[in-house]
Amino acid sequence: MVKDKIVLTNETGLHARPASELAKLAATFKSTIKLYVNGKTIDAKSILAIMSAGIKYNTEIEIECDGEDEEKALSEIKKGFENNFGE
Amino acid sequence: MLKGNGVSTGVGFGNVVILKKLERKIEKKTIRDAQKEQELKRVHEALQEVINDTENQMKNITGTEADIMQAYLMIMQDPSLIAETENAIKNSNYNAEYAVEVGFNSVAQIFENMDDKYMASRSRDILDIKNRVLGKLFKEETIDLTKLNPNTIIVAEELTTSETAKLDFNNISGIVTELGGENSHTSIMARTHAIPAITKVKDATKILKNGDSIAINGTSGEIYINPTEEEKQKLIDLEKQLEEEKVELEKYKKQESVTRDGIKVKLYANIGLPADAKIALNNTAEGVGLFRSEFLYMDSDTMPSEESQFTAYKEAVQIMEGREVIIRTLDIGGDKDLKYLELEKEANPFLGYRAIRLCLDRQDIFKTQLRAILRASAFGKLAIMFPMISSIDELRAAKEVLEECKKELDNEGIEYDKNIQVGIMIEIPSAALIADKLAKECDFFSIGTNDLIQYTVAVERGNEKISKLYTKYHPAVIQLIKKAIDGAHSANIICGMCGEAAGDSTFIPLLVGLGLDEFSMNSNSILRARKTINNLDSKECSKLSEEVINMSSAEEVEKRLKEFINQK
Repeated sequence: MVKDKIVLTNETGLHARPASELAKLAATFKSTIKLYVNGKTIDAKSILAIMSAGIKYNTEIEIECDGEDEEKALSEIKKGFENNFGE
Repeated sequence: MLKGNGVSTGVGFGNVVILKKLERKIEKKTIRDAQKEQELKRVHEALQEVINDTENQMKNITGTEADIMQAYLMIMQDPSLIAETENAIKNSNYNAEYAVEVGFNSVAQIFENMDDKYMASRSRDILDIKNRVLGKLFKEETIDLTKLNPNTIIVAEELTTSETAKLDFNNISGIVTELGGENSHTSIMARTHAIPAITKVKDATKILKNGDSIAINGTSGEIYINPTEEEKQKLIDLEKQLEEEKVELEKYKKQESVTRDGIKVKLYANIGLPADAKIALNNTAEGVGLFRSEFLYMDSDTMPSEESQFTAYKEAVQIMEGREVIIRTLDIGGDKDLKYLELEKEANPFLGYRAIRLCLDRQDIFKTQLRAILRASAFGKLAIMFPMISSIDELRAAKEVLEECKKELDNEGIEYDKNIQVGIMIEIPSAALIADKLAKECDFFSIGTNDLIQYTVAVERGNEKISKLYTKYHPAVIQLIKKAIDGAHSANIICGMCGEAAGDSTFIPLLVGLGLDEFSMNSNSILRARKTINNLDSKECSKLSEEVINMSSAEEVEKRLKEFINQK
């Protein structure tokens, strides 16, 4: 299992479009991918879970990947957050 | 034969497509354990059909809209969307319909409770998916308004603005509604697109059936079901006559908008969306006297951004190739609602929180729009018009916000037209009565007759029971119009009119007589109006207006104006 923390830099938060990009990206990995935000646990492969968490700008998110491709999953998802999912 | 009120001229032959307000009854049933499999399967199949429909729709979409649809699709495919629904079947033994109702509502509730306004409004997306799934479970036929079969005649109780905005106008040969008046948005849109339309047809959605072959006469308001050869021929003759008139009017494309004795006026068009500017130009509009910016807001699920508004205004002003385009700032409230604004219900919406009143209160919204207009003003001749001004204070306050926006743009080094003209609508009697004062502090007026009539005679436009009292021929209305025009001229500014009355051939001689400078109307009325004006003598019109202004009843005025135009 690997973990890392990032801070959301999307000024408008994780809205439908970035949320769908995140879920799409997460679904390409075999690992289970969880986000820990404000004491909530979110399945990163579920767009509904991501959107309904209402993650706002400047929020700290812990990413946890667990599975055979966990290293790659973690680095790719971090990269996605850094690029604000193309926003 | 059915009969209603012809609101957009022309003849239409086609097949009926009924848009029904859905009245489904979701019953709560308890199912046996053995039925659970079957109910789960029904839910999955219904959802899959909705997904398939969405994928099909996506084929023709690109850009931002496609990204949004993609996200929407992912929500539909997310197993957690129907987790609650499945539980409701498995654990509570609910039938599929009721399970979908409660299951989706609980998901929508999660969004609704979020403090972020954008996210809270996503609950509508969930409810929209729910409705589509239920539609499949109830085997309702849904109609894709953006893709209709050729020669469709739309029949509905009433069309909502969002429905009208989606309509595939190329394939519509007519519109029939049970409600709605001459000035409802459906009627206005129908006239802009030159589609015959009939409103106030009692029980139309019950009498007419999907697929019925009908013919409609948008002038007389007559509807023929399975028309006989004789009836068809009559309509074809009429169509030919209208076609001939159209051809005859073509020659006025080259004429100037000038009276016989050389008084020149401006003939402008009213538009709702940037693309309408093409129709305006095609009808030789000399400018746009009213760009109803609220359509941009009604077309969207969220407040349109500065960028998207800028693009729309820029598009309109570029299409008009240097001709003036007057943008009316957001006129919402009254009968026009924006769901995402979450306006409170009011007892008297027409007398309430609307238009400039709302904008001065919600300066965030107002400034976004003003900045977008200013930025677009660098690309052509734009003018700004404030609606619903009732006092000088509102005009001053609105101009102050505009000045703030200009300063912001100056600081950001963004270009705009430093001499952009600022005008107001005269549509409230109090504004007409102090027109001379208002005229000293703005660059132009435009009289909005639809509201001016409503506020002068105290008759709500949409109220069928008292619609007879709603008339532009009321002498009080005419006196207020005169007051507005005289007020404008006392300060050497231009006075226009952008209500439906400006394009009415019966009314035009009176307006010319009163000295109106600019007539803004539906694009399809422009050539006829020019023909009318070319045949007028301004001195005769002045005499007519002096005569009419002293009359005491609307009936008298109407009779005299009709008599005058018929002698022409």
